[in-house]
Amino acid sequence: MMNQGVNTQTIASADPNSLEGQYVVDVNQGQASLYNPSANESEAASWTMHRVDNHSTENGFLSNSSYHHDHQTQQLARSAQDNLNTASLASSSTQGTSVTQDYGSYAAYNPTDPYGYGSSGYSNYYNNVYQQQPNHPYSQQQPSQAYSQQQPSQAYSQQQPSQAYSQQQPSQAYSQQQPSHQYSSTGGAYQNTGAPYQPLSSIPNTGSYTGTTSYSTTYYNPGDYQTAGGYPSSGYSNQTSLWNDPNNANYTSHQYSTHAPDTTSAYSSGTAASMSMNYEQHHKQWADYYSQTEVSCAPGTEHLSAASTSNQGSAVVSGVYPTSNTQPPSSYTPASWRPESASSDLPSLQTGSTISSAHDGWKQGTPSFQNHHASPTLPHFQISLESKASHDNIQEQQKNAPQTPNSQFPAAHQMTQSYQSTLQNAPSLDTRRVSRIQIPTNPRIASNLALGLSKTDKDGPTNSAAAKPAYISVSMPKSNDKVLSNDATNSMLKPGMFPNSLRRYVERAFNLCKYDTQRVACQDIMKEIITKATADGTLNTRDWDAEPLFAIPNTEAVNMDSQCSTPVSSLPRYKRSPSRRSKSRWEPLPEEKSVDKPVSISNDVVKYDGWEKKPPSLNSESKWNALNNMKFSLSEKKLPSKNTQRPAKRQHLAGGLNAPNNDASSDSDKEQSLTAYYSSAISIANTPEETKRRESRSKRFEKGQGHRAEINYLKQKNAGAGNLYSRRTSALMISKSFDDSGSKAVEDIDWDALTVKGTCQEIEKRYLRLTSAPDPSSVRPEEVLEKALLMVQNSQKNYLYKCDQLKSIRQDLTVQRIQNQLTVKVYETHARLSLEAGDLPEYNQCQSQLKTLYAEGIEGCDMEFAAYNLLCVILHSNNNRDLVSSMSRLTEGSKKDKAVKHALAVRAAVTSGNYVMFFRLYEDAPNLNSCLMDLYVEKMRYRAVSCMSRSYRPTIPVSYIARVLGFCRTSDGNDEDSDGSGLVECLEWMKAHGACLASDDGGEIQLDTKASSSSLYMPEPEDAVAHGDANLAVNDFLTRTSL
Amino acid sequence: MAYLSMGEAHRRITEYLNRFSDAVSFQDGASLKQLLSVSSNSPSLLSLADSLNVFQDANRLIKQSEKYSQFGEIIAPFFRCMQSYRTGNLLDAYHAFEKAANAFLPEFRNWESAWALEALYVVAYEIRILAERADRELAFNGKSPEKLKGAGSFLMKVFGVLAGKGPKRVGALYVTCQLFKIYFKLGTVNLCRSVIRSIETARIFDFEEFPKRDKVTYMYYTGRLEVFNENFPAADHKLSYALMHCHPHNEANIRMILKYLIPVKLSIGILPKDWLLEKYGLVEYNNVIQALKRGDLRLLREALQEHEDRFLRSGVFLVLEKLELQVYQRLLKKIYIIQKQRDPSKAHQMKLEVIVKALKWLEIDMDLDEVECIVAILIYKNLVKGYFAHKSKVVVLSKQDPFPKLNSKPVNS
Repeated sequence: MMNQGVNTQTIASADPNSLEGQYVVDVNQGQASLYNPSANESEAASWTMHRVDNHSTENGFLSNSSYHHDHQTQQLARSAQDNLNTASLASSSTQGTSVTQDYGSYAAYNPTDPYGYGSSGYSNYYNNVYQQQPNHPYSQQQPSQAYSQQQPSQAYSQQQPSQAYSQQQPSQAYSQQQPSHQYSSTGGAYQNTGAPYQPLSSIPNTGSYTGTTSYSTTYYNPGDYQTAGGYPSSGYSNQTSLWNDPNNANYTSHQYSTHAPDTTSAYSSGTAASMSMNYEQHHKQWADYYSQTEVSCAPGTEHLSAASTSNQGSAVVSGVYPTSNTQPPSSYTPASWRPESASSDLPSLQTGSTISSAHDGWKQGTPSFQNHHASPTLPHFQISLESKASHDNIQEQQKNAPQTPNSQFPAAHQMTQSYQSTLQNAPSLDTRRVSRIQIPTNPRIASNLALGLSKTDKDGPTNSAAAKPAYISVSMPKSNDKVLSNDATNSMLKPGMFPNSLRRYVERAFNLCKYDTQRVACQDIMKEIITKATADGTLNTRDWDAEPLFAIPNTEAVNMDSQCSTPVSSLPRYKRSPSRRSKSRWEPLPEEKSVDKPVSISNDVVKYDGWEKKPPSLNSESKWNALNNMKFSLSEKKLPSKNTQRPAKRQHLAGGLNAPNNDASSDSDKEQSLTAYYSSAISIANTPEETKRRESRSKRFEKGQGHRAEINYLKQKNAGAGNLYSRRTSALMISKSFDDSGSKAVEDIDWDALTVKGTCQEIEKRYLRLTSAPDPSSVRPEEVLEKALLMVQNSQKNYLYKCDQLKSIRQDLTVQRIQNQLTVKVYETHARLSLEAGDLPEYNQCQSQLKTLYAEGIEGCDMEFAAYNLLCVILHSNNNRDLVSSMSRLTEGSKKDKAVKHALAVRAAVTSGNYVMFFRLYEDAPNLNSCLMDLYVEKMRYRAVSCMSRSYRPTIPVSYIARVLGFCRTSDGNDEDSDGSGLVECLEWMKAHGACLASDDGGEIQLDTKASSSSLYMPEPEDAVAHGDANLAVNDFLTRTSL
Repeated sequence: MAYLSMGEAHRRITEYLNRFSDAVSFQDGASLKQLLSVSSNSPSLLSLADSLNVFQDANRLIKQSEKYSQFGEIIAPFFRCMQSYRTGNLLDAYHAFEKAANAFLPEFRNWESAWALEALYVVAYEIRILAERADRELAFNGKSPEKLKGAGSFLMKVFGVLAGKGPKRVGALYVTCQLFKIYFKLGTVNLCRSVIRSIETARIFDFEEFPKRDKVTYMYYTGRLEVFNENFPAADHKLSYALMHCHPHNEANIRMILKYLIPVKLSIGILPKDWLLEKYGLVEYNNVIQALKRGDLRLLREALQEHEDRFLRSGVFLVLEKLELQVYQRLLKKIYIIQKQRDPSKAHQMKLEVIVKALKWLEIDMDLDEVECIVAILIYKNLVKGYFAHKSKVVVLSKQDPFPKLNSKPVNS
């Protein structure tokens, strides 16, 4: 495996211990800073713990010493978790539910597991570790054993960490690849652990741990996956073991179990090998994709292909996940740290942005992977999510986000397709995991946002927005999956044999329905779910109480998603044609559209979406819901306007989760084990700890986005954030008629209500092209814009500065959909400035805007600009049809305007070639007409001189030429007195154009017309610049941009 | 509208359906054409529309028989179109007709022979007419008229179906002409270029094999394009072709051609006879031609100003404006003739002051510099043979043919 090779290389490069140490530190700091500040609650703790655990586990993998490190880190994490509270445990338990799902899948795989034990060497060790962890999850020793095993493979572990980092970096590309790797490796691990362990111990343990593990696993998994299929898995196992040690056996077990499931799934199926192969191929493909699409991705691919490259890749990864990667050198840090790094290291993030884009793509891809390799994919997802968050931030900063989402989507689709085929069995597990992953990411995003807010508040929102697109796309597919699952449920329901828990579940679902349409949708969904469950034989075994209710809204969500997705992408806040923007900027939108039309959407895509969604719906529905709620609440708080978008996304996720569940159910063995997990997970999910976690999460976000945060949401979160959320989403969905296509829904959205209202009070603002929804805190309201305009008008700085400022003013106006006299003034000011500077492209932009503004009846200097427009057409476009049409558009009144008259006279002079008239008009041009004429002077002079040299004989005095051709800037042709400069200038011009000059008897310089008629030429402009103004030459520009 | 019984309505609809399916099965393009020409206001179609308004469930009738339902995709929207058209809802009529047309096109493509060309012509024509009317309705309601654009893109599709080899290619020029009409109306004549290219570069098919009416229309529009481009020889050729092949009794079309041909001919120095202008009501050119004959710059400017709107709309304003140099030439020639009468030996030396004075008589105020510039341009453009002596401010004319005629060549530029 290339991954392995990479791992080894990475190991050699980086000391595990050092890495571990770094990781630990980073984790502590990062987590503390990020999560703790916002909320010390269990959630934050759990998150940190997870991260720490991951790191620690990674360390452990690296070496024995790493074990210690791991323990330390784990301890730190544990302490953090402990501090945070049992809540973390609860959260972990909820996660566990997801894990349990994973286990279920594992259980199914388990049969293969036994085989796995014997088979894999190091990988076996890893596998063993994993297996042990899953199996013994409860017993911490097993994890330790795993570590020990891993220790032999310390190199591996190290590699894994590094790989993990590299993977994370590549994560976009790698994530997909990683999943495959993970699968293979994990498969081995699972096998080792043996089937028995996984089902029994792993499930329960995982239930509780999964929450944490899932986080950690996700982080690790990415790394592992990235590095090598087998190794990554071991890395996971190590991680889990670490978790177990510090936290509890349960935690570790959960992690392991999750890991194991993934691997086992592959192994058990016996297709494991094929799976891995597939994955590898996929990985390669992805790598290729990344390399093709994004440079950042290339690093990841490199890692895969070459060990040496892996290091680089890791570095790249660090760039992406950035801070974490670079800081960590230790591979692990990236995933867990990413959030932190993202927040803290903006530069790194920026570099990563491209990567992040790649990550996004990978993420999407990973979902599919997850489906196949439920556990591995989850980590990927998490990573991807994290990376997404960071990436998004980065991307937003870089404005690359839109591109990246696009790239991601295609990649994801492809990935999904391939994976789906292979992984169909594992889906349920994957989905759960996915859901988990998604959840983590959301928090991370939020955290990133919050963290980044101080530095770049704007970035945060943009990041989220950027992240959203990917989600959106995912959501669409999910809907399809859900539908499928729903059908199954329907069939089941009809039989009429429902356990009480299922009835309660249905009741809950219906309780969520506020509207009839929702109800109907709910019914359909429920039917599908139940039919699926019956088909899978999990109807009675499943813990319906724990089943996520999102399923109900999900169907709607699907529609909603499509509908919502566009809004999201377009960023509801912006009133400007959101749909258009979203489309152009957010590639995801097109996908959304496709989603709207399920048929059109490729199955693969759907599956992806479905998978991602699946995780939430599957096991820990409650947990997931909670997570979703938390996320939602956070997002809502942060971005009220964005809420609609996010909810939609979440719904998508939820929907996807449901679908996964169904898929999972397909594997009856797995499902049974899963059900056990679910029950445990569910029980945990409702624990006070969990609620605390939720609170803390929500609080986190509050802090970050405090200004906009909607407290109501926070408060509600505790009680039933999930419900609220679902309601919201459902409401949104309903508002956009359920059956309508997404596009219609978009049209129905009240953009006015979503228009940004700026709050920025800074008068000066640099122009930055938006790549995401504008952040109100960075948008200036009208009063401030007025001041800004005044400031620019009175500024003594150069044109470039003014242009930049005016562009930012224009942007703010557009964002806020302000179209009044101020807008006209801004555009007029900018148009005049650009005319003075000879910046025609900029002028044309303003002119076209002004045209529409005047057409709307807003007062301004429309005559002046009509004249400019005429001159522009006459002098620069040289298009007779345009000229005629713009002339015919002039009204009688405007023809009497001085400026327009002048422009028309210029036109006549130009068409007849009357240079005398032209330069007279040039001299007494009103307004800035002369600026436009400036650009034609050279041509006119040349034409005039060549005409003269043909018509005049034998000579013409140069003084006459200088006078007639406007070299002498005197009013009435009395240029005699001011000859000096004008004549000299004219002489130079004549010489430059190849005129033959001679002095006559009186000493006056004459143009020898006969000689000149054949020698005249138009010299190549020495300082030719596209915009016609040498002042704006590139060199100048570069020296001045540092203003 | 008199009361129409349900039975009668049913009978009429069924009759239409029968005629439609018969026309298709007998490959009767002429009948099919009649059945589709919405805006022809033919009594049978109007009564059909009334019947449809009475008998609401026409779709059921279509589905009744396989004979009808195979064309349901065409007929059902067409019925809706007729209904809307009858009730004056042109926007809906257009939408429905576009649907029907889109369903008709694949059918037409599948018909091996070109028997349905006539029907396709009608579809192309109707969609344009309905789009224009729908746009008028839209504009009246303050909405942006965009249907004609949609019709244009549909016709491009039709063109794609016709433009290949085979018997259907004969119809390509008709569609091209419909496209020209749309593009000229929309002011997006640059879109014509691709169509023209595919017509003119297709060597397989001789242009002369197209129907005459289409050739004339095509030449007319491409000639207009050449006028815009100020490519006068080409414009002259195309418009003359159109004029020569235009049916002599179709005076409206001849007038349209002359509207562009006359300015083109003027710019290459050929003046029309007065009776021509009178016969075709092109009196706006009278003064322009008078000015050219007399060298009366003032008259030219007045004429241009008087009909500025008209000239601008038709797009010949700039062409006519360029006649100014010819008027100057005529003026100088007149001065030259007068000088020759007085003193033949010095006739070839024309003082600048004299020209200025002559312009003053025409109430045109130009100073020496300007007139000097004009003279320089006249010499430069080869409208005057000779040279200008700046020192003595004298135009020295060539003794041989000082004012060369254009002889069907455009003024040098």
